[in-house]
Amino acid sequence: MSEATFMGVPRDKISWHPTIDYEKCNFCMECATFCPHRVFEQREGDRRLVVANPNNCVVLCRACSKTCGPDALTFPDKQSTIAEIKQIREQESVQ
Amino acid sequence: MNSAILSCTGLDKPEGSVAREVAIRMASSADSEIICPVLLNRSLARYKKSLAENTLIAVDGCSTRCASKLAEGLGIKIDRKVLISDVLKSSAVTLEPSLNLGPNGLGLAQAVVDDLVQSLNAPSEPIPSAAPSGAFPPPTEHLMVTHDKFEFRIPATDYMFNENDVWVRVVDGVAHVGISDYMQQSLTDINYFDATKTDTDVDQFGELGSLESAKAVFEIIAPASGTVVAVNAETVANPGLINEDPYGRGWLVEMKLSNWPEDRALLLKPEAYAKTVKHKAEEA
Repeated sequence: MSEATFMGVPRDKISWHPTIDYEKCNFCMECATFCPHRVFEQREGDRRLVVANPNNCVVLCRACSKTCGPDALTFPDKQSTIAEIKQIREQESVQ
Repeated sequence: MNSAILSCTGLDKPEGSVAREVAIRMASSADSEIICPVLLNRSLARYKKSLAENTLIAVDGCSTRCASKLAEGLGIKIDRKVLISDVLKSSAVTLEPSLNLGPNGLGLAQAVVDDLVQSLNAPSEPIPSAAPSGAFPPPTEHLMVTHDKFEFRIPATDYMFNENDVWVRVVDGVAHVGISDYMQQSLTDINYFDATKTDTDVDQFGELGSLESAKAVFEIIAPASGTVVAVNAETVANPGLINEDPYGRGWLVEMKLSNWPEDRALLLKPEAYAKTVKHKAEEA
């Protein structure tokens, strides 16, 4: 994924991915089953679900959270992320 | 307008209990017929007449969307949806942590009922409006992206895309917005289009409503900033059009753009979007 970009900005410079609230998650795995980009992985142990590949997450996409009954997935503020992307573009003069 | 109401059973979490309470109150105050989800699942025939004659409202408690998914699985068209967890987020209410609803939960249920009754009693015309500019010809030339047995079409001219698979077509100062062939294929059969209201101002990358299929709920991320001046009444009534003709009759909204010269710098031309689609298809 190192070559991946979003709006011309290297993907690994954009902090956009789901965060799991383990107090709420019931490990139903709906999100992991749904996400075609393999952002989530199932593991052994107490935390049976982890965000294993955060940079695989499509920037601004929040579709997995719409599958989450316990409302355990959160994302960064969208407007802040867009501002961050625009700032990086300006700094790097990405066209 | 007569309605039938299919709700969550309300036996898992408080949001579900609110959904159930909405169904009970709608039955008593708005003369809606309750569709029991458990019985519906056992015997579709029991509700066949009611479903054929009434506007169907699905009220889900949480994003698991059991009521909606049940209807969709049985091939039943839903006319109106309410998701209590979303209503809760946009209100200042905190639900009591019990399946037995307290004053907050009961108040929220009544507020949802009032809103539903008001919309059912409103004149049927204003929900979607036809595009003032009318239909536009579908693209004639396409770029093709192939991956395994799949083929994804991308119009060769006139359309620009954001990286969230939403296109904008700006011709003669009129902007139409829709989703790409790649996204409609990813979603599979689209069965619900929850459109943003007309006259709403939206920022670039803000929300223009959502699309729903059995597979996912898709946020329509605005490719440009501006005002929604029309919603495609045809796609609201028949969301399958988005699958059939994503770049033509399946358009979603028409916008009056407010910052197009700047916004377009953050969009992809067809050739660049084709590379993005190729990358996404290979990664999935």
